[in-house]
Amino acid sequence: VRVRVLFFGQLKDIVGVAVEDADLSEGARVEDLFERYGRRFPKLGEFRASIAASVNQEYAGWRAALVLP
Amino acid sequence: VSGGQGGGQQAAVADDVYQLVRQPINAREIAESVKAPEDGAVVVFDGFVRNSFKGKRTLYLEYEAYEPMAYAKMREIGAQIRASFPIHRLAIWHRLGRLEIGETSVLIAVSSAHRREAFEACRYAIDTLKRAVPIWKKEYFVGGAVWAEGETPSQEAISGPGEST
Repeated sequence: VRVRVLFFGQLKDIVGVAVEDADLSEGARVEDLFERYGRRFPKLGEFRASIAASVNQEYAGWRAALVLP
Repeated sequence: VSGGQGGGQQAAVADDVYQLVRQPINAREIAESVKAPEDGAVVVFDGFVRNSFKGKRTLYLEYEAYEPMAYAKMREIGAQIRASFPIHRLAIWHRLGRLEIGETSVLIAVSSAHRREAFEACRYAIDTLKRAVPIWKKEYFVGGAVWAEGETPSQEAISGPGEST
């Protein structure tokens, strides 16, 4: 599945872009996306506990699916 | 939802105002805009740029938002206020972009027949806005800048401290 990823605040500075698309396997969760970016940008790991994530404009935890059924 | 002119505390939901703006916020004009003859109180929260942050002298700030979600969350706050407090009118404004010291970043104005519900609704609005509306603040100093720690829900708050893989 393809999702559009938006970055804000500190994360935008670290990643260097405000928006990009990412291709993930079926059933991917917020944590899968974070891990993928964590490999590209190891500094993101420092923010693991304090990051806020949302899926389709609702706050979402690590286990939340990226594509709503 | 209008029940006529007699009540004075009818929910004027259609009149509720939520605005993200890049121009200066006119606090006085907004406070006037929520007043009606049947009201007896307006409570205004005016949050503006402080000249220091953690002991350092601030030069200016920049705010950014995830705008569609921020509008959705502001409307949710308005709905929660409508469900909890018998107020008359509500206006929530937040400025984005670069702000100088002393300029208003957030303005909330609530009118009601009596003071108590206006105070309570205004307090609820600013406290909830800080937690729920996706807006970020960057503080600029001589020689650097930092993103302020937000109050938006962290993964720890949502998923629990134990839950990570």
